[in-house]
Amino acid sequence: MNEILKASNLSKHFGGLMAIDDVSFSIYEGETLGLMGPNGAGKTTLVNLITGKYFTDTGSIQFMGKDITRMAPYKRCKLGISRTYQIPRPFPELTALSSVIVSALYGKDRSNQSLDDAGYEATHYLEFCGLFSKRNVLCKDLTLYELRGLELARALATTPKLIFVDEVMAGLNPAEATKAVRLLERAKEEFGVTILWIEHVMAALMKAANRVVVLHYGKKIAEGLPQEIANDPLVIECYLGSCHV
Amino acid sequence: MELEVKREKLVFRFGAQKFEWNIEPRYWRNPLIYVGLLIVLPILAYFFYPTLLPTLIDANLLAAIAIPLSWMTLGTGRMNFGPQFYIGAGGYAAALCSIHLHWPPQVTLLAALIVGLFFGLLMSPLAILSGGLYYTLLTLLFPLVFLEITFIYTDIFRGEVGLSGIAPLINVGSFTLNQLIIGLGALLMMLLYMFIVDKVMRSRFSTSLAAINDDEEVAAAMGVNVNKMKIISFTIPAVMIAVVGWFYAHYYGTFAGVTYLPLTFMLKVLMVNMIGGRVQIYGNVVGGYFIAFLELLLIQVIGDYSPVLFPIILLILLLTLPEGLFGLYRKRHYREYLPTLHVRR
Repeated sequence: MNEILKASNLSKHFGGLMAIDDVSFSIYEGETLGLMGPNGAGKTTLVNLITGKYFTDTGSIQFMGKDITRMAPYKRCKLGISRTYQIPRPFPELTALSSVIVSALYGKDRSNQSLDDAGYEATHYLEFCGLFSKRNVLCKDLTLYELRGLELARALATTPKLIFVDEVMAGLNPAEATKAVRLLERAKEEFGVTILWIEHVMAALMKAANRVVVLHYGKKIAEGLPQEIANDPLVIECYLGSCHV
Repeated sequence: MELEVKREKLVFRFGAQKFEWNIEPRYWRNPLIYVGLLIVLPILAYFFYPTLLPTLIDANLLAAIAIPLSWMTLGTGRMNFGPQFYIGAGGYAAALCSIHLHWPPQVTLLAALIVGLFFGLLMSPLAILSGGLYYTLLTLLFPLVFLEITFIYTDIFRGEVGLSGIAPLINVGSFTLNQLIIGLGALLMMLLYMFIVDKVMRSRFSTSLAAINDDEEVAAAMGVNVNKMKIISFTIPAVMIAVVGWFYAHYYGTFAGVTYLPLTFMLKVLMVNMIGGRVQIYGNVVGGYFIAFLELLLIQVIGDYSPVLFPIILLILLLTLPEGLFGLYRKRHYREYLPTLHVRR
């Protein structure tokens, strides 16, 4: 498998708090990499570093052999990095269709694409996520489950190579969560995307992930196959509360 | 010749020929009807009530300021409280060039454009660097600083008296006819601005502006070059507003900062924006006419008290109609948010 993303010695601090401390890992093309860790472990910060919301203090990030450490977020998106948010962040005053159109138009350099063409393309992604009937509904009027679907549609419309999925199951009931996981699996199959999946629900992650990386207090404490991680004494200690890294 | 009103239909017979026009509400949205009405209004005023012409000119100019301001507000995601700065810049550029260099209006227009572009580009980084409230405060401050400058450098700007002797926009010998032509010119400018901004709002560019307005960070994560869009959305409207300043200077023949730069004028422009609907370009026309006529009505009815009552009425309207007059329509037709896209499955 080809290495799609390589993060080397990433560090980030906010004032006196070391949010990410010398973290290195790689993501391989076509895999689903799980990112685990207790609350405040630095999972979302790590995603923010890779997608460009924050710049790293030290270390480097390479995406498909290209250094993107200091690259603006929109350029990273055009290269093929997309994300969803832990707490959905829709464009509240736009309709579902319009908000996916934004991604379809700007996610790649398509200077000749018209608004209508982008509309047709966006329709495809909305339909994939089961939101076609909601296309003309304002995003602020959608339910949480629909917003999760919309976030995925928006991310897929940028035609990414790598998607960061941040706690897709948070706030959903078991039936909705199962549907959301199935949707992610289908997205991987149909669009051939690589996924980095942050999740608290271990059962789902253990089933879906090819490999798992575990963070604790900003440090990487384990990396390996899901079964290895599940049996790792350090990971168990961290989750049960007696671990100090 | 025969005119017949049928159900949902207007039938016009001329000899053997028959013309039909549907009057269903959905056909009322044809913008040509409203453009036609706006053109007819100053012509009617010219023949029947010429004293109304300055109010119509005012209404069109207010709308012409508010329309680009809507674009600026949407594209930067922030409320600019100092659009009158660009009126001042364009107006003074035109006035100074006209008085000292004896340039005709068509040449001073170029000067106003260049000065507007310069200040627009100079200040556009504000939209990137400063957050919502700071941006608002800074934009509020600039016209006041400019006003102070006009008082300090009286040899250039002539302070409170202002610059006079500016070449008139047009002179055909008759004052009323001049007013009519200027009124139609102001209307043309407003319609041109509306056409430009409407085109922008219906283009692929608009989706990025709407995304920036809603959430800059997410827009950037979805591939929108937020900084570029903000600079464009700041600079072009600034130039458009500067041209309105040029129009004011040549229309009145005098230009004083004290008329346009203080908060009272800003309040009027922002009210046009708010009454019409914050970023509704068609609403700005409704707002412009509403404010201009309300001001006229108050001056005629209550005279001296109008400066006090005018803002109070506007504040009440703001409280009762937070989304503006156009917002009332929008609430009932929320599917028509621009861009309106009709998709096939």
